[in-house]
Amino acid sequence: MAPDPVIQLERVTKSYGDGAGKTQVLRGVSLDVPRGELLALVGQSGSGKSTLLNIVGGLDKADAGAIRVLGHDYGATREPALARLRNAKIGFVFQAFNLLDHLTCVGNVTLPASFDRGARDVDKRGREALGRVGLGDHALRKPSELSGGQKQRVAIARALFNRPELLLCDEPTGNLDSATGHEVIEFFRELNQKDGVTLIIVTHERRMSTIAQRVITMRDGQIVEGDQAGNEDTGGPA
Amino acid sequence: MMPARNLSSMVAGNTVRSPRHFVFSAIGVVIGIGAFVFFLAGVLRVQSVLFSVFPLEEVEVIAPHTSIAGKNLSQKLTQETVDLIKRRPEVKDALPRMTLQFPAVGFGKFEGQEIRFEVGGFTDGIPTSYVGDDPKVSDRFLDNDAAGVIGPACKPELGSKGCPDRAWQYCDKVDQRCHARIPVIVSPTVLELYNTQVAQSHGLPHIGAMEQFIAERGRERMHFTIGLGDTMVAGSNLAMTAAHREVGAIMIGVSKKAKRVGLTVPIGYVERWNREFAGEAASKEFSSIVVTLRDKDRLAPFTKWLQDEPRLKLEDSLGEQFGTVVFVITIVLLAISFVIVGISAINIAHNFFMQVTERRREIGILRAVGASQRDVLMIVLGEAALIGLVSGVLGSVVAVGGSLFVDWASAAFVPDFPFKPASWFDFEWWIFAQGIGFSVLFCVVGGWLPARKAAQMEPAAALAQN
Repeated sequence: MAPDPVIQLERVTKSYGDGAGKTQVLRGVSLDVPRGELLALVGQSGSGKSTLLNIVGGLDKADAGAIRVLGHDYGATREPALARLRNAKIGFVFQAFNLLDHLTCVGNVTLPASFDRGARDVDKRGREALGRVGLGDHALRKPSELSGGQKQRVAIARALFNRPELLLCDEPTGNLDSATGHEVIEFFRELNQKDGVTLIIVTHERRMSTIAQRVITMRDGQIVEGDQAGNEDTGGPA
Repeated sequence: MMPARNLSSMVAGNTVRSPRHFVFSAIGVVIGIGAFVFFLAGVLRVQSVLFSVFPLEEVEVIAPHTSIAGKNLSQKLTQETVDLIKRRPEVKDALPRMTLQFPAVGFGKFEGQEIRFEVGGFTDGIPTSYVGDDPKVSDRFLDNDAAGVIGPACKPELGSKGCPDRAWQYCDKVDQRCHARIPVIVSPTVLELYNTQVAQSHGLPHIGAMEQFIAERGRERMHFTIGLGDTMVAGSNLAMTAAHREVGAIMIGVSKKAKRVGLTVPIGYVERWNREFAGEAASKEFSSIVVTLRDKDRLAPFTKWLQDEPRLKLEDSLGEQFGTVVFVITIVLLAISFVIVGISAINIAHNFFMQVTERRREIGILRAVGASQRDVLMIVLGEAALIGLVSGVLGSVVAVGGSLFVDWASAAFVPDFPFKPASWFDFEWWIFAQGIGFSVLFCVVGGWLPARKAAQMEPAAALAQN
């Protein structure tokens, strides 16, 4: 029996703009992602991958369709509850790292604790998360003092701070050199296999496809489901 | 919702890292709140000086003056009028004042100089009970002649020395017996006029506290004589019903209840002297009636009643007029302050809109890691409130600094005048509280729309900003 899906999308649509300038980005996307899966989302630029990821993470709203993530029906979930869900159970990793330059590494990593009333041992947990990505001795450095790879590892530590059930990664290796990108991919594989974290990774990185349990290709706002990793031509950058 | 400690820490951190934004946002508020606190403290002091000189819950009622062909046909104020006023629900008490209605002159020695001054027309009498709440004079402000306090026989040529109590008695030339001196009080206005006008021009000592002056110089220095029926004014036409005589008087102190410019004695003396020198009618006719209202708010209904009562009118009250002027000036100054702070609030809104736009990506990150719309709203409003708080405190400091400068300039360059205060400002704690409160309020109002805009940003769109 297949495990309960962590994500269930049913005929999700999304468009930007209106009138003649209206662009349909998602055209009735349906998708189930079971718990513990590492899913690679590939496709050409403008195919709707990032939009789909943002909608799954509650960072953007769908125009129509049903979205159920980690037991929350987004259509019936109010904004504060959605924020709590992001805070406690969903982690994000972005291509541009999205660190706050005025905070130290540990300050960035513990940022989610600022919005968590029940947060305990924040600094200790922040340093542990940094240690997990190999930056334990960089806790008090500012992002401007780090390399691109180090920045992304800080961003990953932040995403893992609250031990999320779901990690959403948008081009996580897009700004990294090949060797560093490989380290990040390995880290994700380990995270998925050892900790059972469900990952959806938007990528154009072929190696990512080799570790994914499923690769889905998107074209013109629709998905084409591949049966095994590594069988799809991922095209250009998302 | 994020915990308050985290909120305040984030707000403080954000504010500290944007000093330019802080200065641009705060400068107008500092000026506006500085002006508000400065004006309010100044107005408060002016009001307190004014209302100490002209108490608003106390008004004076007179009869309207009417004359035909030089003949005074005015209504008379009598005991019946006093009783009529006393029956009004607004009135707590009504006490008559009676002016001396015949010529009299005061003379004596003061600090080695012979002095003479007109008393008739500048002296009135009030009931002794009227100063009952003034412990500095109430013990001695008594009608001793009415009480029959007459001492032993004496020789007029010895003056007070011939009486057992030299400080408080004099030897009357008519009955050659010792009598208690007539207790006289003066108003703070008279003391101010003496200190600021007379003392300097005549080389006389400055009198700070009258009691202290008396204690230092001796009670006898306060003695003087009143020549009843005498005058310094040539050509007096009044036909007096008694011959000129002299009585001993003593200045016992300063009271706000005394005639503003002149002398005041217990009303019994004035009644008897008026009867003796100006006839029976003059002894029953009051010059005015001092009405104590139950509180300041009763002034309006009492004034309305007076308008409907043709026999009576309110003495033109300088206090009321000054009070109105001060009130209008207060409103104008506070309006100016509020306009400055209001413009500052618009400036804050503008600055925050720019900031929110510049910080879109940061807001997106906060939303991605779990900040709710309300959290973002509170962060931006918190920053606005912090700017308001700091600006309010700085504005208050600027106001106090300004007041110290004005007080210094006033002491150094403005000559003394009656009731000139040592400080022109009264910084009550609630003025600072209001200033800081308004500052925070205006800043929060200014920050509201930008905060709302920030809160309503779609996180994905905000994160898309490079």
